[in-house]
Amino acid sequence: MEGLRNDGRRWNELRRIHCQLSTSGSSADGSAYVEQGFTKVLCTVTGPAEPGSRQRGRSDGATVVCEVYFAAFSGTDRIKRGRNDKKVQELQTAVQKTFASVILTHLLARSEIAISLHVLSQDGGTLAACINATTLALIDAGIPMADYVCACTAGQPAIGLGGGSGGGDDDEPDPYLDVNYLEESDIPSLTVATVGGGEKVAVVSMESRVRIERLEAMLAVGISGCARVREIMDKEVRRYGKEKLDGTGE
Amino acid sequence: MPIQIIAPAPFVDAGDGDDDDEGGVRLDVDNDGDVAMEGDAPSRKTSRHAGRIVTPGELVTDDPQWMRGHGTYLSTTADGSQSIVSSLAGTISKTNKLLSICALRFRYVPEIGDLVVGRILEVQTKRWRVDIAAPHSATLLLSSINLPGGILRKRTSTDELQIRTFFSEGDLLVAEVQTLNSDGQASLHTRSLKYGKLRNGVFLTVDAGMIRRMKSHVLTMPTSNGGGEVDIYLGVNGYIWIAKHTASLSDGAGDKGVSITRLEEEASEAIYSNVNEEISPETRAEISRIGCVIRALVKANIKIDEEMLNLGYEAALEEALQGYDWGSDTAAGKRIVDAALAKRRKT
Repeated sequence: MEGLRNDGRRWNELRRIHCQLSTSGSSADGSAYVEQGFTKVLCTVTGPAEPGSRQRGRSDGATVVCEVYFAAFSGTDRIKRGRNDKKVQELQTAVQKTFASVILTHLLARSEIAISLHVLSQDGGTLAACINATTLALIDAGIPMADYVCACTAGQPAIGLGGGSGGGDDDEPDPYLDVNYLEESDIPSLTVATVGGGEKVAVVSMESRVRIERLEAMLAVGISGCARVREIMDKEVRRYGKEKLDGTGE
Repeated sequence: MPIQIIAPAPFVDAGDGDDDDEGGVRLDVDNDGDVAMEGDAPSRKTSRHAGRIVTPGELVTDDPQWMRGHGTYLSTTADGSQSIVSSLAGTISKTNKLLSICALRFRYVPEIGDLVVGRILEVQTKRWRVDIAAPHSATLLLSSINLPGGILRKRTSTDELQIRTFFSEGDLLVAEVQTLNSDGQASLHTRSLKYGKLRNGVFLTVDAGMIRRMKSHVLTMPTSNGGGEVDIYLGVNGYIWIAKHTASLSDGAGDKGVSITRLEEEASEAIYSNVNEEISPETRAEISRIGCVIRALVKANIKIDEEMLNLGYEAALEEALQGYDWGSDTAAGKRIVDAALAKRRKT
């Protein structure tokens, strides 16, 4: 068990990521399904469409709205999360703000883009999986975006893994990439999302305390993880695109 | 220090249990001959190969001779030079020096002259709001429909009061895009006897990109098994109406020359009727068969046009598939599509 985490990964190893586009067929403009380990999220996007009756829509751009639903069976305990739940609202705002800045909304005047996220199973990194699923669903819907938004989590363990772990000694244990539920509840962790594979950070969210010196290392690991996530998502988009074009039969 | 990230372990098929090393490992992500990666390979001379798949954030070109079109944006790099970057996942299309990206899937964007099938959302005093699957609902003015009792009759306040007798909420209609406003909102018209209220048929939706633009989007198809003729309205917006053929009013007018008195007779209350005609079981079966053919073609990512529809229908007849839902049944649908494609290659 030397150098391995509680689920057998190295400190810098991602969980299995499985993603799929157009999962809901023609019932939504765009849809995607993302599994990161045992965290499973389904996202559907409707829009650009006529804004709801509440507002007439901004004349200079599109409005982005987001709704998150937690399935009662998604966590370890059966909890029904209502619409006014703090956690749900926080997730909604995070996703909505992120994508409002990345979607090229000025091209879609007076319209609304509705993102609906269903969290089917939680195993750490819910926000990250939600962001990744939304990115893919927006791509499927053909909504112009500056770049992929890819998210990943990183945690800071108190004691290093020892053994075969890279460079870090016990004074500066290596941060954990892509924490699972056990790690998330055990050690301080943060979620970071980048626009594209570079170092342009769109979201950083941390709900626990950590020593300030450790933050930089955590961020660095998270950002590198995002770049890797982008590659994986890009591969899936291209595979889907190829499949879609192959059928045309030309 | 660059951080090395280990890729997740490949997916191990559940249920394979112990014999993972026997080949239960699905490596499709890594081993599939991936076009994307080949795009960077030296075998491709130009990276701007038309038809290549690009994804959001991908550099399309940094050559200043190209103009950016739809689906792209300009990004300034650190050294101040500007490059064209894709904002969609799709294929590159080039028109002279204009580079644009055609998305894999997209919402319908109305253009003047498009034939669309729509559904009435709302009745207002002098117009209707129509859902045409576009980002904005379209409007249909009372003055741009054929009023009963003659094509050239002036609109009166009585017509305004009776607006619901022409179209009410939920009614389906076929119309043409007349104008577009600055937001891209469409205004429709039905001032031709080809257009108007739809009845005697079934409605289905497909992605807007799956309808190939053709000379005519209203097809009349002779069917077998005593089904008679069937009309297919392929809306450019992805809404489709398949109905029992009705002797077109415009055909009748064409025979005798356009006479206003005749139009007056024909364009009577009947064209806004809400009652279906008697449709024989044979016709119903053929209508549903055509619907299944369309769904099977779309499922196989094949664009709908008159040729494919005819070939698909022939193939379905040979398979003698009745039913109402084999269109989404992949095995049966695939057989039909393959047979249709084989036929097309032969001709």
